[in-house]
Amino acid sequence: MESLRRWRDEVGDGYVLGAVRVVLGLLLFANALRALRQLVVGGYFGDVFHWPFLPEALLPSRTAYTAIVVAQLLLAVLVVAGHRARGALFASALLGTYVLLCDRLQFHHNRWELFCEALLLSLAPCDRSFTIAGAATGSRFGPLWAARLAAAQVSLVYVASGGSKLLDPDWRDGQVILERFRLNAHHALASGVPQRAIEWFSRPEVTSALAKVAIATELFLALGLWSRHTRVFALWWGLWFHLTIEATSRVEGFTWLTLACYALFVTPDVRARRFFFDSARVKGRAAARIVGWLDWFARFEVKPWATDDVRKGHAVVVVRRDGTHATGVRALAMVARCTPLLFPLWAPLALVASFTKGGEASAVA
Amino acid sequence: MLHLGPRARVAFAACWIAGQATLVLTAARRADHAFGFRMFPEASTMRVHLLRELRAGRGPVPAPRGEWGARDAAGQLRHFSWRDRVRDPVLASLDARVFASYGAGTQLARLQRALDDVADHVPEDDETVRLRADVTIWYDGHDPTTVTLESHTRRVSP
Repeated sequence: MESLRRWRDEVGDGYVLGAVRVVLGLLLFANALRALRQLVVGGYFGDVFHWPFLPEALLPSRTAYTAIVVAQLLLAVLVVAGHRARGALFASALLGTYVLLCDRLQFHHNRWELFCEALLLSLAPCDRSFTIAGAATGSRFGPLWAARLAAAQVSLVYVASGGSKLLDPDWRDGQVILERFRLNAHHALASGVPQRAIEWFSRPEVTSALAKVAIATELFLALGLWSRHTRVFALWWGLWFHLTIEATSRVEGFTWLTLACYALFVTPDVRARRFFFDSARVKGRAAARIVGWLDWFARFEVKPWATDDVRKGHAVVVVRRDGTHATGVRALAMVARCTPLLFPLWAPLALVASFTKGGEASAVA
Repeated sequence: MLHLGPRARVAFAACWIAGQATLVLTAARRADHAFGFRMFPEASTMRVHLLRELRAGRGPVPAPRGEWGARDAAGQLRHFSWRDRVRDPVLASLDARVFASYGAGTQLARLQRALDDVADHVPEDDETVRLRADVTIWYDGHDPTTVTLESHTRRVSP
């Protein structure tokens, strides 16, 4: 009951939600653009074979459908720009769902998930940062219950996907992956993948192991994203999981949608860590500039510092949330952990850092 | 409008989760498993041959690549094409083995409706009583099985 109350009443900084909104806006724009291209090149879906969820009488005319697609484009622009963004997200979700219900031949899980996330994000304070339509007014702080629900939606997708695979003997045994490899082997060869690698990955024992890893990954992510102890690893593992899928399959914008939604698991505060750099050294200034560029979630307060006993000899020093200091590879791992573009490197850097003797400086030194 | 009070938040979240869970758990009841988030459900492939059953019990005769000629009620020979109505990349690929996107069950359900749809949209064909699809399916690469689907019966001149 207490955790329910905490979820319901939680208030936090919505800075990161603005970044999620921008990515969702871009995906909504790409989706609307695809529909427009299909309309122009392939014609109106109602003129050819279609299979609606809705009764035929509720389908839009060609003119109305064209207006809907154009409206979706304009709404997506508003979402990205941050102007009346929440209303635009809400309307995008409703229009998108309506279009999905008009023709199940056009139904794709990633499109449905996009509209679900758009609707949930429209109920969160996502319009107070990353706005290019003028500075956002008011505090960035707001209720986070909808952002948590949007994060729960990510877990639901993993449970549904992993659970359905677990219950399917062909999936569990690796037969589905094996057949997919066989079907796509010629594409892989044409892309320069060595024949021996394809042969090795097409062995039944290998595809069986890969299937089990895929199922375990999805089920682990559903829960692992919620625990403070496993979250960072889950995000890192999930990132590579989705990048692998993106490289080997066609999933429209699902990879980028999921990775954007991973930001919903970021702690809702800003500049809780400090990145000190030696402004007298080129290396320090360059590192500060790079962190400034890559710190999209405003994790660091970047500051030059005056040399003292702790920072002496270091171009940069990172001060963590708990006040402990990190230098060298440990500082690099910390920066990778907090910046989306460097995050794929976090685990190997953290592993290397764990073997180094230095890099930890006393907070009170 | 997009600001919900504490009670409404709980009600909304409960409805959302219950709705999503229902959609996921009932996905198996829908032919295409829509809203079930079953990603990469199968690796099945299929090949569809289109045939026509003609009046007076003649046929079935093949319609290679979905093209056929038939006389209208006035006796005029006309040309018909499956692809005039069916643009979906999987269903439009006749006589070729293609990947059954979203699973063979999904594609069979779509094909059944496509057969009915095409049968309803060739009013000038006064010879074809019924369209038929002989479908060979390789479920996840297993040995092939064959399924036959038929459109509903059309009304033609006796």
